[in-house]
Amino acid sequence: MLVKVESIALSGIQTIGVTVEVNVFNRGLPTFDIVGLPAKSIEESKHRIKAAFVNTNLEFPSKKIVTNLAPADINKEGSFYDLPIAVGLYSAVFGVKVPDKSLFFGEISLGGGVRHTKGALLLALYAREKGIKNIYIPSACSNEAAVVKGIKVYGVSSLEQLFQHLSGEIKIQPVSKISNPPQQKKRSEDYVDFKDVHGQMQVKRALEICAGGGHNIILVGPPGVGKTLLARALLSILPPLSESESIEVTKIYTSVGKVPPHGSLMYQRPFRSPHHTISYAGMIGGGTNPSPGEVSLSHRGVLFMDEFSEFSRAVLETLRQPLEDGFVTISRSKGSLTFPSRFTLVASSNPCPCGYLGHAHNKCKCTRNRINLYRRRFSGPIMDRIDLHVTVHPVEFSEMNQKSSETSRTIKERVVRARDTQLRRFSNDGVYCNSEMTNTLINKYCDLSSDTKSLLQLSSEKFGLSTRAYFKIIKIARTIADLSKSENIKETHMAEAIQYRGRMV
Amino acid sequence: MCGELTIENRTYPSSLKLIPNPPKTLYYKGFFRREIFDNCLGIVGSRKMSIYGKKALSRIYKTLNLKSLTIVSGFMTGIDSQAHKNALTSKATTIAVMPCGIDIIHPENQEDLYKNIIENGGLILSEYGGNLRPQLWTYPKRNRIVAGLSRAVLIVEASSESGSLITANLANSYGRKVFTVPGSIFSDTSEGCRQLQNSYAYGVSSGVEINEYFGLYNFGVFDSGEDMAALNGLDEKIVSSVKKEPATLDEISELSELSISELSSKITLLSINGYIEERAGKYYAC
Repeated sequence: MLVKVESIALSGIQTIGVTVEVNVFNRGLPTFDIVGLPAKSIEESKHRIKAAFVNTNLEFPSKKIVTNLAPADINKEGSFYDLPIAVGLYSAVFGVKVPDKSLFFGEISLGGGVRHTKGALLLALYAREKGIKNIYIPSACSNEAAVVKGIKVYGVSSLEQLFQHLSGEIKIQPVSKISNPPQQKKRSEDYVDFKDVHGQMQVKRALEICAGGGHNIILVGPPGVGKTLLARALLSILPPLSESESIEVTKIYTSVGKVPPHGSLMYQRPFRSPHHTISYAGMIGGGTNPSPGEVSLSHRGVLFMDEFSEFSRAVLETLRQPLEDGFVTISRSKGSLTFPSRFTLVASSNPCPCGYLGHAHNKCKCTRNRINLYRRRFSGPIMDRIDLHVTVHPVEFSEMNQKSSETSRTIKERVVRARDTQLRRFSNDGVYCNSEMTNTLINKYCDLSSDTKSLLQLSSEKFGLSTRAYFKIIKIARTIADLSKSENIKETHMAEAIQYRGRMV
Repeated sequence: MCGELTIENRTYPSSLKLIPNPPKTLYYKGFFRREIFDNCLGIVGSRKMSIYGKKALSRIYKTLNLKSLTIVSGFMTGIDSQAHKNALTSKATTIAVMPCGIDIIHPENQEDLYKNIIENGGLILSEYGGNLRPQLWTYPKRNRIVAGLSRAVLIVEASSESGSLITANLANSYGRKVFTVPGSIFSDTSEGCRQLQNSYAYGVSSGVEINEYFGLYNFGVFDSGEDMAALNGLDEKIVSSVKKEPATLDEISELSELSISELSSKITLLSINGYIEERAGKYYAC
């Protein structure tokens, strides 16, 4: 008897519909085969299903069973075909009808339980897109899938429960609301508050602008001045993810299994700080079955690259496309995948190999030649894509005990307000913040008075700014105006923005 | 235009003939003429030019009588190349003495400057023909030519064991006048100048004394109190504070009691108007 059960296949963050066909023959030697390009984890699913049936007090049929995952020409991976295969088998043997318009998805354990499985959000989104009403998923995933409105999410905790539901003995209630997801653990970085960082007023202001408009920033300064600390403090003022942003981020994280059991949407912006020995594949993504890299894991969040100059040239150059387009396309022999990668780059670096160039007390020991070689590591195209350039100076000891500055909470309020303004402004433009503005949007939303315009032109002649830099300054000025609740970009906003331009060194 | 001339040639610079071991042959590139050697001022200094050194140079150039002077230097990075550059921007003739064969440019990355010197009526000189690479021993040899050509030498920044001191000592032994620019006692590159000033060198703060030594006309006195009338109270406070000591934005902010964002926009306006300039995150008065 042939039974068809609907499920999906995951390929990066894309989903493809898959029909799981289970045929139980009345003749032939008892075997259990799975065809349709299954990966090893799917091959092994027959052992899990056998044991689960036995431990659910069901007899596993001693018949020839063939399971096909159609379309049969795409590679399939993951452990979530356990549930559709088991349901198909149960239906074929016991004659229970598989409900229409339903997707099944989930890994089962030998004991008959249903385990948390990665990708539930992607499944739910697929279901909504295709107009499929019901999805049956592990109960540990139901919080994640339930954020998608308009579908019924059935959280399944064991095979026995599901089979009873299918045969009408009991009724599983669809998940109606998200039930206390586990508190996302506070990261150690969250504890760095701006008020605990002494001095460094200029850097703090620059970071506020960075958070306020999603602008890329580079901090250059000698060792031990607090570049890393300041960059980590940035986390404490980042605005929370909006709902649509959150779905984008959670899609990436669930595709690599980084959403915890019972977890729901991610509401904290990601903060990734890869070590500088990272490979280029680790940075943009890769592998035989391409998986997202750091640029995608920091989508809508912060990619912090400490010791920017120490990253290999290949890694730095791969950042060009994601920085410019907001996505990366990874092509491998098994196919090419696209991941979003709209992140805010926060880089920090020393000014020279020994680190003390321009330091007030420690003398720099580098020759001009070595400094030039060091500077050459920052490639022009990458530096040109960084909006805010800030020099960090050592804090004098006398300054250390002075009145503390604003708390992160106060700064965050301004940042959140500015971001809300931007969300409203760009509600029909498909972008979220000022740094993403295209030139068309700049013309639309950044009306400059003649005074402001002439100030910008004057300084662009005086400081030799590139065209890209010219537009970058307008974007920064827009953010500064948003932070100070100003409708228009005033001359003072523009003048402040010019201070953060890149310097020729 | 290039060529060579031997010590017997009558156009051979006479001041160079006077030193104990003049080069037998001089190779040159550029427009060679005898008058170019009449009033040579050697300007040399550290390869690690500080911002102080750069500002000192431009201050001195403002008052030097550059119509009648030729600036001689060693084409190295730092003070030397800055001396050439300033000479070119002030339309003065300048001579670069190379430590290598006449056919190569050292350091290579200064090719633009090299061409500029030749195009603007200056000279490239060397006592070595062909493409001899610079060696450790050719640098002090080159220095003797710089000292030998010059009637006076100005040392701008020098650490205690630098090639600039070799040039100064040679110039002194040839009976040429040595000028030096005093520097901060905290700066490493001022130590050599301080030592010189304690023995035979004469400290200068502008080009006036140098003009007088050459018997040249002083066409203006450097006015250190620039026109600040146009500035209002707060702007003037900012400018005069960085004039005293270069400061970071945080330091100025504390002094002027302005927030960083207000101050940043003020600083931009001041730098566009040429009162302040920024180097490596610190602000200097122009």
